[in-house]
Amino acid sequence: MTDRGKKPQRRPARVVREQMARERRRKRTLWTSVGAVLVLVVAGLIGWAVSASQDAGDFTPPGGANSDGTGIVLGSGPVNIDVYEDFICPICRQFEQQAGGTLDQLIAQGKVRVTYHPVAFLNRFSSTEYSTRSSAASGCAAQSGKFREYAKALFDRQPPEGSAGLNDDELVNVATSVGLAGDSFAACVRENTFEKWTEHVTEEASRAGVNGTPTVLVAGKQVQASAEAITAAVAAAG
Amino acid sequence: MIVTERNTAGARGLGANRWMVARPWLATAARLGLAAVWLVAGGSKIGDLAASGRAVNAYQIFPYDLSVVIGAALPFVEIALGLILLVGLATRLAAGISAFLLVIFIAGIASAWARGLSIDCGCFGSGGDLAAGKDPTYGTEVLRDLGFLVLAGFLLVWPRTPISMDAALSRNTGEGDSDD
Repeated sequence: MTDRGKKPQRRPARVVREQMARERRRKRTLWTSVGAVLVLVVAGLIGWAVSASQDAGDFTPPGGANSDGTGIVLGSGPVNIDVYEDFICPICRQFEQQAGGTLDQLIAQGKVRVTYHPVAFLNRFSSTEYSTRSSAASGCAAQSGKFREYAKALFDRQPPEGSAGLNDDELVNVATSVGLAGDSFAACVRENTFEKWTEHVTEEASRAGVNGTPTVLVAGKQVQASAEAITAAVAAAG
Repeated sequence: MIVTERNTAGARGLGANRWMVARPWLATAARLGLAAVWLVAGGSKIGDLAASGRAVNAYQIFPYDLSVVIGAALPFVEIALGLILLVGLATRLAAGISAFLLVIFIAGIASAWARGLSIDCGCFGSGGDLAAGKDPTYGTEVLRDLGFLVLAGFLLVWPRTPISMDAALSRNTGEGDSDD
């Protein structure tokens, strides 16, 4: 009798214990899930905040820039050409060697108006953000009206990807070699005067749908980055 | 006859036993492997958030400003997800979110492929247009992500691992062994 009375009592007790364990487990799963989701959401918000704080903000374009401040203009011909280059991009260097002369000619013949956009897409390929520093330095050269000469000299002295890039002294030396006088240029480079401008140039290039370098647009349409393709497109547009 | 039967039954029991012993450790390997994938993926992008935004923009799916926000948030979310998996908190949910993200990434790469874009997927840093003459490697990228998806799938089905926050918490509340 006593045995039969005890057994049914024990069973419900175990069922209750199991139910309580299930409840605890359910609560634990709920709270760990809420915690994990919270961590992920906060992480995402931090990323957003960091990127918002890095926004270009106010910038001063150098002399020779277009009205939007997105590039340096050479020539005043009827056909617009946009050239997007990064000073550490090896294919941009090849492009300069292959097509740079052709562009100079087209400008000299009064056929085209070329806007050079020195973007900083490839900062991860140098340990000193060479893309940004060299582009800002090219702004210093533009200020003195020697953007093109300086840009060519920078491509001639292009550091390899994965290196530290040229340091500020070397950037100044390159300028001296194309006849840019010392002190004001050196100060412009060392104070990163046009860094904000470079960020603006880079951001607006991305906004315009440019995702790589070199990118060449003739009359707003992308063409192959070669002398032949540019000449043909200019002839077609003119 | 009887002996043989007993042996097969014994062998089968042993096989199942082995699986039960190996499973938590396979799950541990999957968890740590997936954690490493997220930590490396996030870590390779977090140093240059602008580049990460450009990599997203290169897919030409979102407007530029939205791409920038996604590109900035993604590395932080990836690292957080990696850390959550590393400590083993809410493993099944973390595996589910991992699978969800991977499916989106695969869809993005497939869409770039289908539209004939020539971009780097930007999965582990880099991203953007490929240089002229360079062929995209969408197939490899999709296969790699499918491999990661298998890890996430394993954890979705068998999330329990012996050394994890989940296990520690369940011991604390005295729940004993059970799958959840």
